[in-house]
Amino acid sequence: MGLNNFKTLFKSGFIQYLISVISIGITALACIPLAKTQGYHVVSFLLLFAVSLLSIFLTVGPVVLASTVAAIIWNFFFIPPHLTFHIDKTEDILIFGLFFIIALINGVMHSRIRNQEKITREREQRTHALFQLTKELSVASGINEVIKIAGHHTFNYFHFTPVFLIQNENNALELISDLRHEDALTDVELEIAKNVHNTSVISITEIKSKSLPRKCIIQPMIGSKINPGVVIIRSDEIYDNLPSNLWDAFLTQISNALEREFLAEMAQKVRFLDESDRLYKTLFNSISHEFRIPVATIMGAADSLLNESNNPQVQNALAHEILTASLRLNRLIENLLNMSRLQSGHLSLRLDWYDLNDLFNKVSNDLKDELQPFLFEIEYSDNIPLVKIDFGLMEQVLYNILLNATQYSKPGTKIRLTAAFDEENLILSISDQGVGFHHERINHAFDTFYRANQNKTGGLGLGLSISRGFVEAHKGQIQVNNNEDGGACFVIKLPTELPSFITF
Amino acid sequence: MLEGITIQIIDDELQIRRLLDITLSAIGAKTILSENARQGLIDAATYNPSLIILDLGLPDIDGQQVLKMLREWYTRPIIILSVRSSEDEIISALDNGANDFLGKPFRTGELQARIRATLRSNENKADLTVLEFEHITIDLANHSVRKSNEVIRLTATEFSLLALFAKNAGRVLTHQYILKEVWGHTYMQQSQYLRVFVAQLRKKLEENPSKPKLLITESGIGYRFGE
Repeated sequence: MGLNNFKTLFKSGFIQYLISVISIGITALACIPLAKTQGYHVVSFLLLFAVSLLSIFLTVGPVVLASTVAAIIWNFFFIPPHLTFHIDKTEDILIFGLFFIIALINGVMHSRIRNQEKITREREQRTHALFQLTKELSVASGINEVIKIAGHHTFNYFHFTPVFLIQNENNALELISDLRHEDALTDVELEIAKNVHNTSVISITEIKSKSLPRKCIIQPMIGSKINPGVVIIRSDEIYDNLPSNLWDAFLTQISNALEREFLAEMAQKVRFLDESDRLYKTLFNSISHEFRIPVATIMGAADSLLNESNNPQVQNALAHEILTASLRLNRLIENLLNMSRLQSGHLSLRLDWYDLNDLFNKVSNDLKDELQPFLFEIEYSDNIPLVKIDFGLMEQVLYNILLNATQYSKPGTKIRLTAAFDEENLILSISDQGVGFHHERINHAFDTFYRANQNKTGGLGLGLSISRGFVEAHKGQIQVNNNEDGGACFVIKLPTELPSFITF
Repeated sequence: MLEGITIQIIDDELQIRRLLDITLSAIGAKTILSENARQGLIDAATYNPSLIILDLGLPDIDGQQVLKMLREWYTRPIIILSVRSSEDEIISALDNGANDFLGKPFRTGELQARIRATLRSNENKADLTVLEFEHITIDLANHSVRKSNEVIRLTATEFSLLALFAKNAGRVLTHQYILKEVWGHTYMQQSQYLRVFVAQLRKKLEENPSKPKLLITESGIGYRFGE
């Protein structure tokens, strides 16, 4: 406390003047014996030295006073004739003049340099504060984080906690900062804030609260395209003492960051809407197309069966067409159901121990007709232990990939299904000698509704996407690459647990 | 051909009833069509059919419940034919006493095959001690198994598993049921035991163990023996 009092007193000026006079007085007293032996010229140097020293600590006024006092003392007490202001020698008049000017320049220059330094330091502090704010704001993501950073920096630099009201989705202002109960926003403040937000004009209002009447300053935050909200400063004392340039720069940075977040949020929403719109359209286009073809086949074939000749061969062929078409319809429905299971997010695994052989048998049996024209090979070592999987889901995974292979390969080519274990994973691979994937589009192989060849094969482009979903539900990974000698190779990695016994 | 057989169809979908009527009548069966659960229960009591085909999604009473109600007195085969064909649904239908399960859409050929197999396995229930399946002969009394007249050595557990399958030939047995019957209640979660023993049985009995014809896997549900 004592030190602080002294500091304020020191700054107040009066004490500075006092110090300057006393210091010069003491120096002069000390010089009296010196003047007797060394002459009065030496005294002038010592006094100059004292003024210089003072100019390091004191402001311009006291320094000027010090130099004036020093000049007078030197003249009055040291320059002969003593105790008069009269100066005999012309050279002494010259020295006295110079002494006075040098003392002045010395003191003033020092003060100016100090002032400059102070300004520079302050400017640097401001730049630094602004830089820190900008830096943190630039990496902030989300409105809440921006507000948090803004509040934190404002408190650090301006020593008050601003209250931010930010525009929400419905264009209404929303309180973002956490306020203590007693600081809660009053209706009046909210009303003014709305007005400020709409007009972008700062408002300084007297608020009559239960405690002290106070002034409330509500400043708009102005972005380049949208105005993200307002900031409330609840004390005019704080507001008046704000370095306005810096505070404005702060606000601009905060506004810009908020605006950026707003725009990013908006862009994301638009993207999302676009995406779902696109999915919706694709789904409906392809569903209507994909359903119509088999339905048309069934209608046509059944109609022919009703109306035309009873040639058993024709009847047989028509019945086959109906069967094929209905199987295709059934597959579509199955895929749509699986897709909705996946997208509902309620897919729960029924994990149990299974023999891989059973899985492969089931899938190759289900695809018996489709695999018939191909050289289908299953390869795995005999000592593969049991695997813990959801049988139904993994059956779908393999079914879709194998069906895919049959659709993109020429009859007579090889389709290979292999299984192996590394330390922690079951690795299944399905390799064909078909057309493979276009290298630019291979990354889209698992995208929903993606089809490698839009016209040739039927289907909605859901199969591989479902496969990926089911593999990921097992916490596994699925990848596709093109084989060097053509064709695609799907690799599925499933983390597996070993059964709690090895053999019996 | 199913001459002299009465099959009751309990299904609320007119088109399914009509289709089954046409296809089953064509192979000689007499059909009884019931469009809801209440009617179905009355018809079943009135006609005591040789076999019931039951839909699970009935408008008045839930199919699983109907199944339980039928099983209170009806001992002949019941085949479930339903769009509700999730593994859980199938397992509880089998637990509730269904003999077999077929999901919709189905192929009528497949349905006919299931009907025949179910009827046959129901006849087999006579107190035979020697059962024959293709090249396998199982003598339940003497605990011996022959494959093309060659004696096969089975461990005690393998034999009780095989005996359970053989006695229920043609019928789907759930994992839980098999574990309970062969290993007892405490092992009901230990499906890995079952897998290993099934693999061993297949190695000993099947011509080609990797393409089993006798001990068929019903994915996610259980096993079916024979047929």
